[in-house]
Amino acid sequence: MVQTRPAYDTVSVGSLEFWAKTPEEREERFRILRDERPVSWQRPAEGSMLPQEDGAGFWAVTRHADIQTVSKNPKDFCSGQGVMIEDVPPDILEAASSFLAMDAPRHTQLRKLVSAAFTPKQVKRIDEQIKDQARRITDELIEVGDCDFVDQVARKLPMWTIYEMCGLPAERRSDAAHAADGMVSWSDEDVRQGKEPAELLNDSLITLINIGIDLAEDRRAHPRDDLMTNLVQAEVDGVKLTDEDIAAFFVLLSVAGNDTTRNTITRTLEALTRFPDQRKILQADYEGTIGVAIEEFVRWASPVMTFKRVATRDVELQGQQIREGDWVVMYYASGNRDERAFADPYTFDVRRTPNQHVGFGGGGPHFCMGNVLAKTQLRALFDQLLHRVPDLQGGEPVQVVGNFVDGVKSMPCTLNL
Amino acid sequence: MKVCVDYDKCTGLGLCESLAPEFFEVQDDGSLELLQTEGAESQRAELEEAVRACPTEALSLEG
Repeated sequence: MVQTRPAYDTVSVGSLEFWAKTPEEREERFRILRDERPVSWQRPAEGSMLPQEDGAGFWAVTRHADIQTVSKNPKDFCSGQGVMIEDVPPDILEAASSFLAMDAPRHTQLRKLVSAAFTPKQVKRIDEQIKDQARRITDELIEVGDCDFVDQVARKLPMWTIYEMCGLPAERRSDAAHAADGMVSWSDEDVRQGKEPAELLNDSLITLINIGIDLAEDRRAHPRDDLMTNLVQAEVDGVKLTDEDIAAFFVLLSVAGNDTTRNTITRTLEALTRFPDQRKILQADYEGTIGVAIEEFVRWASPVMTFKRVATRDVELQGQQIREGDWVVMYYASGNRDERAFADPYTFDVRRTPNQHVGFGGGGPHFCMGNVLAKTQLRALFDQLLHRVPDLQGGEPVQVVGNFVDGVKSMPCTLNL
Repeated sequence: MKVCVDYDKCTGLGLCESLAPEFFEVQDDGSLELLQTEGAESQRAELEEAVRACPTEALSLEG
């Protein structure tokens, strides 16, 4: 039986006009959908490189519980056909996404090679170095004074950390991080500077792949104690990884390692500026509150706003008939404000418990591998900032327009020392 | 009580290790090692927390 599609939802959460709004403004629409149509049929996304086929659209999943359902059922909702609201050609998909856009068993095998470097024990080994970097970054902030917080502070620690783990030489880190930004902000006209979306994505991807391949070749010749050396030496089913595999890892680590933590840092300063009583709680007993507070930082920021899955069979969700091949998009930003899962979801509460946010994903095999690393960075940086620049204030953030990450391009800050 | 790991589901992320380090440790090859299989009643809350936190639902308690 062929079922007809529902009409496109009048509450659109896929247009560029929608993504240009602030998180608070977007929330007005998410709230309507969560209450009335938790799984809604949406028009094809705007700002795409390859428009979806005529007549297609996608399902928007906006409730916390439904995001978990989709996320924990990779057999029904797979990642292997792409995870962004975008029809990416298969070769680009593999080169740009590595195991992010794969399913078991290949996903499990490849992810394990990298995840071993992100376990609590491994992250603890570099904890002191991360703290040291956070101290230096804060030294520089105090020296420079009022500035753009994103450029002067937020981008630095994630960039240092992920590339230190990879073993990327310092002089190439800025270029790599800049290219990583291009991978997630091609629908923003200001970032593109006259380029077409596909052109920016392609240029950024080639830059990262080349850096990744250079690094892999160097580590084959000169092994060191770092992640890239582990990757060139690793075998899956007795077969070494190709340069392309390793470069794809590097692309994924670059994007996932830079962007998410940077934006969480920025959004957290914004929140601590808006909710001064919460800042005081942290300052009064940092060690005692930061562990719980970090989860709230991530819930509040929801740095990854969406991920897509593709239905592998006809399946019903919240009364909607999802067909095999349909795009199903999880809106983490909405799930993290779901009244069904959080008391007073619009309140930034550094003591919130429980806090089962979906900021690292809704569970399942793709749960954020870098969560311990991200939390370690947040802990180290805000320890420095809140104690040494106690009245640091964030100004108006300038957002990236796009449907994937909640990017903040710049945000002025004043030190008030 | 007995602590059980479904190794087909475990992805070696280590959330359990950050919550109950005396029971769980992810090895350098990414595999999870169960350091103790028996938990005391006084450790139940901690273990339940680890079970609940596992994103792939690979952990369970028996008894």
